[in-house]
Amino acid sequence: MSLLPWTVALWLFAIGLYGVITSRHYVHLIGCLTVVQSSTYVLLLAVGYRWGAGAPIFFDHPPGTPAVDPVVQALVLTDIVVGATVTALLLALALQVHKRRGTVDPDALRPLR
Amino acid sequence: MTEILPPLAVALPLGGAALLLLVGRLLPWRIPDGFSVLVALAVLAADAAMAAAAAKAPLVYWFGGWAPRGSLVLGIGFVVGQADAAVAAVVALLFAASFVFAWGYFEDIRAFFHVLMLLFLAAMQGFCLTHDLFNLFVWFEVMSVAAFALTAYRLEASSLEGALNFTVTNSIGSFLMLGGIGFVYLRSGTLDFGALGRSVAAAPHDPVFACAFTALAAALLIKGAMVPFQFWLADAHAVAPSPVSVIFSGAMVPLGIFGIAKLYWEAFAPAPSIGTVMQTLLFAMGAASALLGGLAALRQRHLKRLLAFSTISHVGILLCGVALLNPRGLGGMLAYLAGHALVKGALFMIAGILLSRLGGIDEIGLRGRGGEIWPAGVALAIAGLLLGGAPVGLLDQGSRLVDSAADAAGRAWLLPALVLGTACTGAAVLRAAGRIFLGWGEMPGEEERAPSEQEEEKPNRPLWLMLLPVVVLLALAVAAAAASSEHFATRLAARFIAWDGGASLKSLAVPLPVPKQPSPHPFIPWLSLGLSLLIAAHDLGRSRLPRAWLAASDRALAPLFIIIDRLHDGVVGAYVTWIVVGLALFSVSFVAASG
Repeated sequence: MSLLPWTVALWLFAIGLYGVITSRHYVHLIGCLTVVQSSTYVLLLAVGYRWGAGAPIFFDHPPGTPAVDPVVQALVLTDIVVGATVTALLLALALQVHKRRGTVDPDALRPLR
Repeated sequence: MTEILPPLAVALPLGGAALLLLVGRLLPWRIPDGFSVLVALAVLAADAAMAAAAAKAPLVYWFGGWAPRGSLVLGIGFVVGQADAAVAAVVALLFAASFVFAWGYFEDIRAFFHVLMLLFLAAMQGFCLTHDLFNLFVWFEVMSVAAFALTAYRLEASSLEGALNFTVTNSIGSFLMLGGIGFVYLRSGTLDFGALGRSVAAAPHDPVFACAFTALAAALLIKGAMVPFQFWLADAHAVAPSPVSVIFSGAMVPLGIFGIAKLYWEAFAPAPSIGTVMQTLLFAMGAASALLGGLAALRQRHLKRLLAFSTISHVGILLCGVALLNPRGLGGMLAYLAGHALVKGALFMIAGILLSRLGGIDEIGLRGRGGEIWPAGVALAIAGLLLGGAPVGLLDQGSRLVDSAADAAGRAWLLPALVLGTACTGAAVLRAAGRIFLGWGEMPGEEERAPSEQEEEKPNRPLWLMLLPVVVLLALAVAAAAASSEHFATRLAARFIAWDGGASLKSLAVPLPVPKQPSPHPFIPWLSLGLSLLIAAHDLGRSRLPRAWLAASDRALAPLFIIIDRLHDGVVGAYVTWIVVGLALFSVSFVAASG
């Protein structure tokens, strides 16, 4: 298999983390977090990919037709659901913080110490 | 009958949560409280029955009847050994206690609190019982999402910020875990622990498995709040509602460490380099956490934040027990996990009593105001003594087992970290008890340093109702440690290890003999207890100590404390940078282990 998907996954992971670390706005930070998450999608799809194989739908294909691995696709689907939940929750939290503090800059916000 | 128990432990709270969500609005407000207590107790009963039934061989349940054919595993299974069931039972017990403690506390939001908590309970049960890596991830995620929402429940500035830090760092942990699952699947084509263990055994030197272990272990260490992944914990635990903090500290964080034990013994044990990294890097992380958590706890005046740091310290000892990779260390970890859950749960409940009765949680602000609720002060002092290493109870047995295992493994240097960390956390709690309930330890300039936000929890419950679960938990932490329980914990651990790699395939009916050895350092409990009393007395009696001594000791310790304070500055970007540093540490130690 080509190196391309692995490179892309690594790049997305690194650039997303860089964004999270340097971000000055929570909505931007949450966007960066979804970039990190996309790297796991690419990684998983690359794991299950087979050259020349079709989608894992056997409705009109005879059994035994080559298909990509459906297990990782199920994993990615599950993860998309979880990711949507977490992103929605984070955005709701950011909105509430903005209502109370008037800023969403992570450097200006510090929990109690 | 016993074969339906494993799914029941998860299905009960899940079904209960769904039911409450459906009809919760219609019910008068005490009914969700009582219902949740009953569900938690039913789960506890199921776990206890499983622990008893798994004495000879683990219970195995394949969902939908997808049992493996030969070596081909397609289904998702729950395989429950005694240790898994015992940990799940401790979790369920803590939930029951927390529901009693929270009686009526969340009436404003009706049943939503109970729905989230029951989901949280179901996720933890699944996490303890599952035998499939992706299923483990799903429970891990359900646990996280319920925890994120529960942290932010109060919707005040500090709780929102704590919840944001918690959510961002732990989401990165989830992504790492999913990446690790990708690597595992790439090489082995399976997600079942047993089949995975066999493919690791077939290729023990494969670097892809090392990659997978790094990602999975880092995810669990973020959840387990170990140095350098620990930063989110103090922010989240300090601001969550007290009944939720009970679960966070007592169950959620230690489960991260239990997850590492599961992962290693069920799947990765055949790989020698992973074993080396466990024994070096993870052991060092545990020792560092034990020390750092203790020192940071001493610095706090916000009682819940103090307890949060002490959790880091105690969970560090759990990680050391696991990283020793032998039955005695693991047995010590199991006993310590149970003892820590009971004592720390009780402590967070006492913090909740202060919040609801005295309307504050600041140790200095509350000085001398605890007189009217003195029974809580007695409980706080007892819990402080137990944390500080008093030679009774489960915590003491656990730490002695871990210590003797470390000694046998030639790592006696763990001892100072263990004693100092324990002593500091005990001292911090005892100091708070002395200051709040006895009025000792006057501080000059108290007002200027008062924290910014006024905190309070609802004063709508009678004191006895809040103290009841505290007393039960503390009594259990002392009484459960009968003379034979040390042996029992070690035997559970030995079976946990022996059943690795597909418990369903080789059931081992003979209990492994474990040599019962006396602790090599019988003085430890006394040493750490004495030290914690000394530190607490020193902090409380500052006004009576000679100026020169105070100036000298402050000057000597100031740089250390300033570094600790600066590190935990609440900025999420810095926390994520430390996660990257932790991942780099993993790669360095894998290179060192293989080269």
